[in-house]
Amino acid sequence: MRLTKVFVLAAAVALSCGPAFSQATATIASAGTASKPLSTRVVAYQIEAKLDATKHTIAASETLTYKNLTGLPQQTFPFHLYLNAFQPQSTFMTEVRRSGTRGNGPDSDWDAKHFGSISVDKLEVANAGDLTNTMEFIQPDDHNTDDHTVFQVTLPKPVAPGASVEFHIVFHDVLPRVVERTGYAHDFDMVGQWFPKVGVWWKNAWNCHQFHANSEFFADFGTFDVKVTVPQNEIVGAGGDLVSSVNNSDGTKTLSYHSEDVHDFSWTASPSFTVVEDSWTGSQGPVKIHLLMSPGHMASTQRYLDAEKGTLRLFDQWYGPYPYDRITMVDPPHGGADAGGMEYPTLITLGTAVHMPQGVLAPEVVTEHEFGHQYWYGMVATNEFEEAWLDEGINSYTEVKVMDALYGSNTSAVNFPFAQMSESGLQKISYLGDPDSDPIARYAWLFINSNSYGGITYGKTATVLLTLEKVIGEDTLRQALHTYFMRYRFTHPTGEDFLKTIEEVSGKNLRWYFNQAIYGTQILDYSLADAHSDPRKWWDTSARGAKVSEKDEVYRTYVVVERKGEFVFPVDVDVKFDDGSTAIEHWDGQDRWVRYQYDRKAKIQSAQIDAHNQINMDRDPFNNSFTEDSDPRAAHKLRTIWVFASEWLSQLLAWLT
Amino acid sequence: MAATNRGTFLSAAGLVWKWQRLVWWVFFVCLIFGLFSTQEMTERANSLLDHNMAAQRLLKGFDISAIVLLQQLPDSPLEIQGHNIVHFSMLFVVFMLFATGGILAAYVLDEKPTTTAFFEAAGHHFWRFFRLLIYLAIVLLPIAGLAAATSAIRTHIDEQSISPYTADHFLEAAAVVILLLLIIVRLWFDMAQVIAVAEDEKKMHRALRRAFGLLRRNFLSLFWLYLRVSIIAWALFAFGLYLWMFRLSPQSNVAAFLLSQLMILIWLGTRLWQRAGESLWYRNYQANQVPEPAWTPPPAPMYMPTAAEPQQ
Repeated sequence: MRLTKVFVLAAAVALSCGPAFSQATATIASAGTASKPLSTRVVAYQIEAKLDATKHTIAASETLTYKNLTGLPQQTFPFHLYLNAFQPQSTFMTEVRRSGTRGNGPDSDWDAKHFGSISVDKLEVANAGDLTNTMEFIQPDDHNTDDHTVFQVTLPKPVAPGASVEFHIVFHDVLPRVVERTGYAHDFDMVGQWFPKVGVWWKNAWNCHQFHANSEFFADFGTFDVKVTVPQNEIVGAGGDLVSSVNNSDGTKTLSYHSEDVHDFSWTASPSFTVVEDSWTGSQGPVKIHLLMSPGHMASTQRYLDAEKGTLRLFDQWYGPYPYDRITMVDPPHGGADAGGMEYPTLITLGTAVHMPQGVLAPEVVTEHEFGHQYWYGMVATNEFEEAWLDEGINSYTEVKVMDALYGSNTSAVNFPFAQMSESGLQKISYLGDPDSDPIARYAWLFINSNSYGGITYGKTATVLLTLEKVIGEDTLRQALHTYFMRYRFTHPTGEDFLKTIEEVSGKNLRWYFNQAIYGTQILDYSLADAHSDPRKWWDTSARGAKVSEKDEVYRTYVVVERKGEFVFPVDVDVKFDDGSTAIEHWDGQDRWVRYQYDRKAKIQSAQIDAHNQINMDRDPFNNSFTEDSDPRAAHKLRTIWVFASEWLSQLLAWLT
Repeated sequence: MAATNRGTFLSAAGLVWKWQRLVWWVFFVCLIFGLFSTQEMTERANSLLDHNMAAQRLLKGFDISAIVLLQQLPDSPLEIQGHNIVHFSMLFVVFMLFATGGILAAYVLDEKPTTTAFFEAAGHHFWRFFRLLIYLAIVLLPIAGLAAATSAIRTHIDEQSISPYTADHFLEAAAVVILLLLIIVRLWFDMAQVIAVAEDEKKMHRALRRAFGLLRRNFLSLFWLYLRVSIIAWALFAFGLYLWMFRLSPQSNVAAFLLSQLMILIWLGTRLWQRAGESLWYRNYQANQVPEPAWTPPPAPMYMPTAAEPQQ
């Protein structure tokens, strides 16, 4: 998914050369029948498309060969027509108006520039004839009959199990002004979710949801052979290997792409791109990095490349090999930022701005995140409609790990001398923006609004997994993710598959945790309710009057820990005394509170819950500790800033006098 | 004029230094207002952050997520009391409206600003300056309209242009124009205030008319006098911010406080430098005016009867 936009800018080494893709290379995922497929190839798309760069329309034809591996005869086939979401009466727009989405708040007005459509002009099925007139739009999610993002067609005869059926579809697209990942901006066209895409047979039924404000996509693995015809001055990037490029006599050129073991194909075109070529070599061999930069953004080139290579390396090392021989990275132009922060198989879109400070790691974060989706979504192809957390949430967790490793654990999101922010902090504040309206496991389009969807799916899942490290260990969780990836890549696993993998690898029953964290909305908040020392013989004033040495005085120290939230989690409490002694308590957190009592010839110096800051889910880290010594410096620091701001505002307004 | 201007520029600084009690007094009022406006926030922050290990996240460096977390909590202990800050800022504006009369009186007359004299002058001119403020609001309306139009045009350019720079360059150019207009307007009204004090002018529209004429005839001189000080103010302010954000240790509270207050003092001092410069300039201008000769009736023509005229 696209990352929520954050900030923007940087410095470069531009390796300029023309688009110089190699022919399909002999890698694990190379074309040709000789190589073993990595996935079960259910679909084979052959698409020819012609872009009208002036009108931003596409005339295309598609041949889809669908292999019936469902085990049942299939007669009715649903298809996605995602581009029809960009119409005022669609489910998508209705939900945006009601609850907002990533790019727009609630009550957004309809802007006709954002109109988009995909129209099927003809649908023929081999050996069944023209079935155009039998197409019918369906609305499996909300019965909004004005929504045309899903249609189904019923064949005269069913397709037997194991047999294939060939659909020939002639269609044309009208791209919207960039909105929600797709469309045009100036001379830039981002072409995503642009062709009729068949649904997935999953859990013994067709799974083909409408396009919602807060949902993404789900499709089967297969092969793509796509020919794109564009004006000759256009520079094209696509999620596939460039097989050939032919100049046509009418001033256009046709580029042919081939891609295997993927479940989607997207592409982009603009005459204003600057092409930067680079490469990285991992455990599976070389990976070509094809970066398309937009005007004014060249300063971010090296930042993108460094982040990409660092991410490739760490994913290869931690989770598993990247099997493709290429990755295309697209930097959308100004005005096209809505196309940024998005993932497609072997193509990602990024985001920066003209003057992006070095201390704002937005280009790095978006690069890492979108590449991470090559694993969590691209290869482990979970159902983004129904379990969005499996790609967005896991990806947000691995984003924290990778960014911390590359850019420092306290400075992985913002890094200035005067202010910092970590990735884990960013995920946490995202989660706590609306922490308890929806559980993680909710269907994407059923979240109360886009803020909750974003905060829970991304931020809470990441925070939950970070907290899980305390229970099973960081290394064990990494091993579990590696196992999950290797086991389920090129398939469609479920949330339970993921959770069971963690339990299997850790050897622990974690249902108590998952039931609360994934399926519940409980808030985790443990608080230090009390910490003080009292003379043991507090009533004996005469002894103190006799000036008993403090060293001989016995003190009773009380430490009370309270569970303020409903989430039950075991916590550690570190208690330190002024004689240097310590006590570490482990509390299961079940009850509402617990009191610890110590009789020592020492007074309490400090007490702290979760001294190692491992319980990321704890809502309020500021109620977790106590120190006997007063230290008002933090408050004074804030006061200095506030007083200055107040004075300067006063001075500015006094300009009027 | 250049020599006069340079002399005025430096002399004005000397005037501000000479009557620096005015600077200090206004500064301390501003500081007290600042402290009052943030008192409640500080107390709440202190009750939370004192005796708290998590406060280190704000002390050693500055963890942005910690601040956001605190503001997200129910009954946020770190809620910024924006309304308090705005209220006290408005109060300071009223104070300056009042104090300007006394300040200008001190600069125009170049006399020791005793408390009695200061408050007399301040009170004497307060309602006049209030009326000027209303005039200023009216004059600023078209500039506000221009700013709004600039924003709309910028958006339009951004939508049409492939390059991201075009719209930004337009905005930069427009910002310069708007800034210049604001400076001119401020200078015009500053001179109106100076005239009101120097000539004890009661009618503000007359003061404005005279100030406009003055500005029109001596635009470059006055504008350069004003602009120079503004440049110095902004440069020092930017340098101060740089030191605070990039050079000071995150834990150096005392240095940060002193530096921030020095920045405010310099900002205020440069503003009074402008007022002193305008006052001095006007005094010199008046002193250099060649007085018009007093009108004397022309001598009566000599009448000599001619021979042809009949004698009465």
